[in-house]
Amino acid sequence: MNRRLQHHAHISVHRGRVVARRDFLKQSAALGAAAGFWNLTEVIGASADELRSRGMACILLWMQGGPSQFETFSPKPGHAHGGETRAIATSVPGIEVAENLPCLAKQMNELAVIRSMTSKEGNHQRATYLLHHGYLPMASVKHPTLGANVADQFGAAGELPSFVQIGGRLPNSGGGGLLGVERDPLILQSASRPPQDTTPLVKADRFARRLELLDALQGDFAAAGGAQVVADQQKLVKRAADMIHSPQMEAFSLDREPEKVRAAYGPGEFAAGCLMARRLVERGVTFVEVSSRGWDTHQNNFELVRNLCGQIDRPAAQLIADLKQRGMLEKTLVIWMGEFGRTPQINPRGGRDHFPRAFSVALAGGGVRGGQVIGATNDAGTEVADRPVTVADLFRSVYHALGIDPDHENTSGIGRPIKLVDGGEVVQELFG
Amino acid sequence: MRPLFCAVIVGAVAGVPARLSAEPASLAPQELARELDASLACELFGGGKLGGSAAALAPRASDATFLRRAWLDIVGDIPTPEHVIAFTLDSSADKRQRAVRALLADPQYGLNWARYWRDVILYRRIEERALIAANALEADLAQRLNDNIPWNRIAREFITATGDVRDNGVTAIIMAQEGRTEETTAETARIFLGMQFQCAQCHDHPYDRWKREQFHELAAFFPRIGVRPVQSATRRSFQVLASDRQFRIAKSDDGNRPMPEHMMPDLDDPAAPGTEMQPKFFLTGAKLPTGSLDHERREALAQWLTENEWFAVALVNRIWAELVGEGFYEPVDDIGPDRQARAPATLKLLADGFRASGHDVKWIIETICATEAYQRESRPRDEGPDRVPLAANTPQPLRADQLYNALLSALDATDEEPQRGQARAAYVGRGGSRRMQFGAIFGYDPSEPRDAIAASIPQALALMNSPTIAKALRADKPGMLASLLADIPSDDELTAELYLRMLSRQPTADELARACAYIAEVGDRAAAVEDLAWALVNSAEFRYRR
Repeated sequence: MNRRLQHHAHISVHRGRVVARRDFLKQSAALGAAAGFWNLTEVIGASADELRSRGMACILLWMQGGPSQFETFSPKPGHAHGGETRAIATSVPGIEVAENLPCLAKQMNELAVIRSMTSKEGNHQRATYLLHHGYLPMASVKHPTLGANVADQFGAAGELPSFVQIGGRLPNSGGGGLLGVERDPLILQSASRPPQDTTPLVKADRFARRLELLDALQGDFAAAGGAQVVADQQKLVKRAADMIHSPQMEAFSLDREPEKVRAAYGPGEFAAGCLMARRLVERGVTFVEVSSRGWDTHQNNFELVRNLCGQIDRPAAQLIADLKQRGMLEKTLVIWMGEFGRTPQINPRGGRDHFPRAFSVALAGGGVRGGQVIGATNDAGTEVADRPVTVADLFRSVYHALGIDPDHENTSGIGRPIKLVDGGEVVQELFG
Repeated sequence: MRPLFCAVIVGAVAGVPARLSAEPASLAPQELARELDASLACELFGGGKLGGSAAALAPRASDATFLRRAWLDIVGDIPTPEHVIAFTLDSSADKRQRAVRALLADPQYGLNWARYWRDVILYRRIEERALIAANALEADLAQRLNDNIPWNRIAREFITATGDVRDNGVTAIIMAQEGRTEETTAETARIFLGMQFQCAQCHDHPYDRWKREQFHELAAFFPRIGVRPVQSATRRSFQVLASDRQFRIAKSDDGNRPMPEHMMPDLDDPAAPGTEMQPKFFLTGAKLPTGSLDHERREALAQWLTENEWFAVALVNRIWAELVGEGFYEPVDDIGPDRQARAPATLKLLADGFRASGHDVKWIIETICATEAYQRESRPRDEGPDRVPLAANTPQPLRADQLYNALLSALDATDEEPQRGQARAAYVGRGGSRRMQFGAIFGYDPSEPRDAIAASIPQALALMNSPTIAKALRADKPGMLASLLADIPSDDELTAELYLRMLSRQPTADELARACAYIAEVGDRAAAVEDLAWALVNSAEFRYRR
């Protein structure tokens, strides 16, 4: 199994085509039955070329620490567990969200809120892993993270990396895993600074001169057993050089946006991250994760979540509105989630603790039917009362929305096939 | 000729165990190396079942290639120009052997291999916070390797460890698996026996003979361990603990608290308590009664595991693969009785020799470095179906620490002292020491086959375009390039010096001509030399050991 760079392009292209052909046969029968049922994402397991040409992308808005469902998408104003948080009306009659999300409330017609997410993992590290991979961590299998799988399925995104993580590295959020480092995310500490080592340090003509010199001096190693290694290195250097000199790098400069557009997203790091996510997706990046930290509100939950919502509500709502206005929302799946929810009981410190049993996730775009709530918890918020959705169900639905076959198998180092998602069912209501 | 030759070798192979039993003292490395080469020739190149011929063998590598290879492999750094020149001018016949011995005696040897094992262990962590154990693991293991503590004793320490993970580095395997019984079991088998046993956690192994019960019987050596945070206001750490107290079943046991016995889950009813398992070592059937104390369990396992033949096979196969670039079994952590080794008799010679040496790690490295197999020129692995395995060495991408050391040496740069709190900082992604930041970009799991290790764009960018390296390559500031420019007026000599410094060899005539032409063409000598140094740092050759 040679996964070195030179072969990458070939393998992924070949793999794409082979898969396309095989799946085409497999699907043509199924398609007849399914025709007309799905609008945009009817073909599962399409090739990278097809996926790319469809321009699908995904933006994950990650709330690190476990956002309280009661103070966001699943308020319980009539119950003691709801605390002081009030509910407000949304743009969709009959659906209410917490008062902390006035801007997202106005985008409710684009949002599908799942109030019946359920999992067993209440440990931050393991749950962060689970909600990024769809699997629990194992020493024996390096699962690729969601963004890496999406990037791998869609193939290269021009000169920009196809998977970008904004807001620094998140522990346990994973990377390319068994797909290799080239599927690792490009990590931006902040949306206000360009990615590390991408600002050219010497003038373009001198850089070009250096590259020529480098090419001219690699012959000896190439002749002594390093031919493939040298060829791979030359391609890599060229790709890196192309990237930093690419006009597309302006995606990382928010000051290219009109002041009015920047203002609409509001102030703050998360807002800058959302705007950059839109700029990146516009230029062909397939997966962007923007993280907000501090949702682990064991104390003083109400004030903390109010402040955190103040940082993410307007940018998230504006991201959806902006994508919609640019005609990109239909092809861009936006996911809002954290690793779990928070306890219904309010602890003596005014906080809520970890609660994976019943929590909320919100989705928009990418063919998801907005304006709906899926599932429900009981009045006390202690149990899922209707339509439980597991992490596998969610991941299956996300891949499905993106047109990726959730049963696609990656192969671990010892030849063990690892499906993108193990088990679960697509949450059909999301798309109906 | 060949059948006779092979018959002699088979005789030698057959003779080894007898001699070992009569004479427990181990062979001299040079002696065993000759036997290994002869055995390989018989098994792989001499009309054996894998075919091929002596003509397929790569020639012996040049002195300069050998020296850089041995430095990187043993001490994880590149030699200075002075070392290269002295070594190539040395006309004594045993200079390679002496160089290897000197490197093994250097404290950097222990550090280099401790970092290798640190990566073997921590790349499989299921918990990011396990990185907090990295420094102690590196320091404690480096000490043991430099003291040449036998490998079986080191393994025993890892298997039986308890304590604060920042004080006691051998807790790292358990810490990396959060003290979880099944995960710790799987990693112990993988690291010390080279066997991927965890498939049997949920079902009988699909390709190998292992049954699900056997995995859980092995897990029954580890039920009483756990990991918990150290209770301290000022110290952030974790503790690997063991407990033999009578336990209350934890309210939400998620696998990382001490339990009296290991229960094999009921696959049809995950909520059921499962079946209580008796500690039993799958390779020999040796067992302990349930109710045994933690230290009895882990001591017994350490004893039985390290006595087993696969313990020696796993280690020598791993080190051989690291040094020669191609293992007898691959991947190095997926071996076992149901796998086919290349050159099994040669592997047996090596493993038997290692056991006879008293699990002496320096001895096994010296032995492998003395073989022709190690000292051959490199060839790529993907030469096609006619390729004869082990007929050449293989270019290896440098591990992050090797590359970092090579950069420091080549650029005459110094490393910063790591400061307090950086272990933590690194895993939350906000800094850490330069070495750790570098490792985050260039690191890889050393158990992975090397041809599966791909280079990434951030890696290329870090070498091409990072302010740190650009600064070290400035000719107009005091530093390596400025001194060379001032001291060496001739472009030829300056080019040669840079090649020696960066690639540990003289430039070829063609490279010398091209470099000098470049300097002349650019006109600005300082700028041109900066460019040349930049090109060498960014060459594939710099990132590999050939």
